[in-house]
Amino acid sequence: MATADDTTATFGGGEPVLETKGLTRRFGELVAVDDLDIEVGQGEFRSIIGPNGAGKTTLFNLISGALLPSEGSVVFEGEDVSQLRPHQRVHRGIGRSFQITNVFGGLTVRENVRLAAQAAIRERSPFENAFRHKDSFGDLNDRTDDVLARIGLDGRGHEQASTLAYGDRRRLEIGLVLATDPQLVMLDEPTAGMSAEETRATMELIGDVLGDRTVLLIEHDIELVMNASDRITVLNRGEELATGPPAAVAENEQVQQAYLGGGVL
Amino acid sequence: MLELPLVTAGETLDQFINGLTVGMVYVLLAAGLSIIFGVMDVINFAHGELLALGAYFAVAITTAGIGNFWVALLVAPLAVAIIGGAMERLTIRPLYGRDPLYHILLTFGLVLIFVDAIELIWGTQPFRPLDTGVLSGTITILGFQKTLYSYFVIVMGAVVAAGAWLVLERTRFGLVVRAGSMDRDMVRHLGIDIDRYYTLVFAFGAFLAAVGGVVFAGRQSVGPGMGGSVIIPAFIVVVLGGLGSFRGAVAGGLLVGVVQSFVRWQVPFLEGLVVFLLMIGVLLIRPQGLFGSPEWHDPGEGGELLTAAGSGVLSTRRRRLLGGGMVAVLAIAPLGIGVLYNSYVVNTIVVDILIWGLFALSLDLVMGYTGLVSLGHVLFYGLGAYATVLFAVYLLPSIWLALVAGILVAALIAWVVGYLSIRVSGVYFSMITLAFAELFASLALKMPGLRAQINPTLDSLGLPTIPPLTNGDNGIGADAITYGLTGGPEFGDVSLLGEIHLYYYVILALVVGSYLVSRRLIDAPFGSVLQAIRESEQRASFLGYDTTMYKRRAFVVSGALAGLAGGLRATQNLGRASPGFLDWLLSGEVIVMTLLGGMGTLYGPMIGAAGYLSLEELLLSNGIDQWQGVLGIVFVLFVIFVPRGIVSIPSLVKQRMDSSSEAPPEGEPAEVSD
Amino acid sequence: MSLLELADVHAGYGETEVLSGVTMDVEEGEVVTLVGRNGVGKTTTLRSIVGVVEPTGGEIRFRGEEITGSSSETVARDGIGFVPEERRVFPGLTVTENLKMGRFGGADTAHRRSVEDIWELDAFENLRERKDSRGTDLSGGEQQMLAIARALVAGADLLLLDEPTEGLAPIIVERVADLVRELNEEGITVLLVEQNVAVASALADRVYILDKGSIVYEGTPEELDADEDVRDRHLGISM
Repeated sequence: MATADDTTATFGGGEPVLETKGLTRRFGELVAVDDLDIEVGQGEFRSIIGPNGAGKTTLFNLISGALLPSEGSVVFEGEDVSQLRPHQRVHRGIGRSFQITNVFGGLTVRENVRLAAQAAIRERSPFENAFRHKDSFGDLNDRTDDVLARIGLDGRGHEQASTLAYGDRRRLEIGLVLATDPQLVMLDEPTAGMSAEETRATMELIGDVLGDRTVLLIEHDIELVMNASDRITVLNRGEELATGPPAAVAENEQVQQAYLGGGVL
Repeated sequence: MLELPLVTAGETLDQFINGLTVGMVYVLLAAGLSIIFGVMDVINFAHGELLALGAYFAVAITTAGIGNFWVALLVAPLAVAIIGGAMERLTIRPLYGRDPLYHILLTFGLVLIFVDAIELIWGTQPFRPLDTGVLSGTITILGFQKTLYSYFVIVMGAVVAAGAWLVLERTRFGLVVRAGSMDRDMVRHLGIDIDRYYTLVFAFGAFLAAVGGVVFAGRQSVGPGMGGSVIIPAFIVVVLGGLGSFRGAVAGGLLVGVVQSFVRWQVPFLEGLVVFLLMIGVLLIRPQGLFGSPEWHDPGEGGELLTAAGSGVLSTRRRRLLGGGMVAVLAIAPLGIGVLYNSYVVNTIVVDILIWGLFALSLDLVMGYTGLVSLGHVLFYGLGAYATVLFAVYLLPSIWLALVAGILVAALIAWVVGYLSIRVSGVYFSMITLAFAELFASLALKMPGLRAQINPTLDSLGLPTIPPLTNGDNGIGADAITYGLTGGPEFGDVSLLGEIHLYYYVILALVVGSYLVSRRLIDAPFGSVLQAIRESEQRASFLGYDTTMYKRRAFVVSGALAGLAGGLRATQNLGRASPGFLDWLLSGEVIVMTLLGGMGTLYGPMIGAAGYLSLEELLLSNGIDQWQGVLGIVFVLFVIFVPRGIVSIPSLVKQRMDSSSEAPPEGEPAEVSD
Repeated sequence: MSLLELADVHAGYGETEVLSGVTMDVEEGEVVTLVGRNGVGKTTTLRSIVGVVEPTGGEIRFRGEEITGSSSETVARDGIGFVPEERRVFPGLTVTENLKMGRFGGADTAHRRSVEDIWELDAFENLRERKDSRGTDLSGGEQQMLAIARALVAGADLLLLDEPTEGLAPIIVERVADLVRELNEEGITVLLVEQNVAVASALADRVYILDKGSIVYEGTPEELDADEDVRDRHLGISM
């Protein structure tokens, strides 16, 4: 495997936060993700790019637990999480957003965020969980208010999520991930379908709210990826084509070919 | 040990033939049911009524002297096919794109209409089996004499099934139908108007069912309820074989027919139980059925459940006041006895409404809030009733402890059923809950036979024997249930003032209390998660919620409340529980009430119960025997035009009035908590 | 008059606007390719032509007649054959039955073929050998061939191909490309959506580049080949 800048040393030193080891997923004949070994360092902003069908979303699904691998493993903070169910991985600190906006449309904005915040506070007794009024938890309310303010939706908590404008809904989506307080934030095309202005605002928001968390981003907007990432991994047909800093990846011959489809005819 | 009778080859063959005869009727019924589901995602509860219509038409044709059996066999199915086609055009067509639940609800309404229409036209007296002419003679094979008709049914069924198979495999119609069940939209992209085929598919299914009906009528008497008696086995056949699979329907139909026949012959006390166990087993091991192929079936657009949450026009405070007012009115209602109305209104109708309201409330917790459409909720209601009565009979006659026992037993079984069922989703969940409910219903009926079989063995081993738990058809009753722990005044006996009874207040308090507990659950973090699961289960699990666990817990709470409703009903029923408490029609009725009122609101279903029962009472007291049919019509109209239920009417009206000033179409933003 | 014209077409899903004014045309007998990176609206453009997505603005004309917002079946009966990205071969039907489905629908155009005619074409030799196999049992390349053949049987004058080479081995990509060339020589017009720019250039008479919902470039493959700046900006990956 030729990588653009094969930095075997992990980002920022020390153990990687996330590692995939020989990760493979087949759908019948198709190998959507093929023997991937990826390491993501603590606090790194890593983008995953590649043509359609490269296996980006499948990789996300494998890491977050929506799919189980055919072979190989996903290691998060030194623990093999490959066989855990999605909610268990969230408890370990893996949070994700969705490509197609997936907020609770029938519930209010505030309720959406509160649900996410509530999920992160787990040391409550079952009795409280079942019988105490949800508005009466001080810590939960604070956290909800805090997240609403950070995603710029304070004062709009009473609105039904399905009636929000598209850009606001995408922000709410990010707010949901944020409220679960993950170590590793996985964002699947957070700016898809946004205008240039909205895209800029969203990227600023991501930069603001995520602080020093580790980020894994799938994104088509190349310019954005180039500007935001510490390192970029390029996938093609389920395989890792290159990993490295933006400049190195941009100059990589194979990457250019994968994108422009050269060398086939 | 069980003593098996000596078996000869001839007897075996005889039973095998019997099984095939019955199986063929199932095949004809299930084939249409399965194709209709495969192509349109419609679960047609009214399919059994189409079979009944075929049988009645045949009776009408032969008794009116229009023709003999053979004419009926040709004409009746054609007539039913037309009715089936019309049914699709007029009622089912407006619902495409909505959640399959609405098809279940709609066709359930149609069942009520068909049943009453049949009664209205043909009365309630059963008709003798059709005169099958030459076929009524007998024929001897392997020393066993059987009517020629048995063999005819098998040949006839095989021919019709083969014909249907040829239609599906060899004709243009069949090819489009099969392709449509795999990928509807791609069929459209090829320039084929698949919607036009839907009517034909329905007519085709109705035709097959009606052939089954005529064949049935040549063997057995034709009476009301025949549609209802065949639809459940037909569902089992379809689920066993695989929803949408024709081969599955044929194999499943014959299998169920033969298994039933052998079970009735060899282990009669297990009759009715085995097929449900078979279905549950298959669903758990291979949810797509024997021949089903989940990847071939296009799940369609899905569509959302239309809850009434957020459609209210009142503020939370106003709503609370209104609710409090309602309870106050109910509390002083008994004072009007003898002045404004008689005691029947309060002590029977209002009590009925309260109990059914509680039952509907329990269903709302799983259906309206969690999105789990339980078709077998009557199970917990019935179990609650039986457990309450049995506790009073065998342990202590105290109503309080007996009700608690009912709640606990219902909750326990709900945990078990939920544990097994929640792993399958959507339509399969609905079907498996239905199967569990039917399993227990047969168990209640078969208990005496089971005891007779098992007790001697237990006795000979020196083990305690099983006491009479259900008494089968007769039901079981506690002579006296008391207010005290062991003695004291009897439940129902304590008159506070004239016709005002203490039990009225006991029931009112328990129902209001249940409502408050449910409301609190929904307003607590627990309830938020349930609603999140309804909105998007995937998202909820990626927030870190163990959604399976939450669904199971909701199911247990719901089962417990349904158990309380059943227990209260049984104490009201002079302390008797009978298999009628487990009738699957009750599951249908409670779903109707929940939807009628507006699910996902807790109070909506209770209002729905009040509406349903009041309308029933109104119709009955005005001497309209066809009350079920009228209710069915009202219900069908609701499903089509007011799917969010009665409680959404004010906002619909408001919208209509505001529409001149461009009101937002979504109504006002939801206050989720109320 | 162009065979197919899109004038300022706007479309999207819900409130998300994916196409913000797409204007392009396809002349009779041409192969036109529409290229662009992921998520810029290529598939949505095709979907708005075949009635899956209803345009919120603009006009679509086929043979001069407006078809904006027409249903999928109407568009197919006008002679537009859609070969979607996922191929969408009927999985439980045999190869022959899949083709028959095309025969039952579609349009009676000059280019319409019978199922037998399909077997005559060398390109479909594999399919002929696997006539009775079910759709699910076919390889990706065979499914792609079948999806195209099905559109031919349905009498497509205009073929809309959505990324026909995606996920296929290079040798199969070549076969698909040859087939497209051959069909075009017979007079079938092709609108090809591709991510593989090499394939797109090799086949096209003209190339459009779509970026963020609008057409940002139109030219011949040679012109595009010469314009490194455009390629880098809208297709490649650069700083």
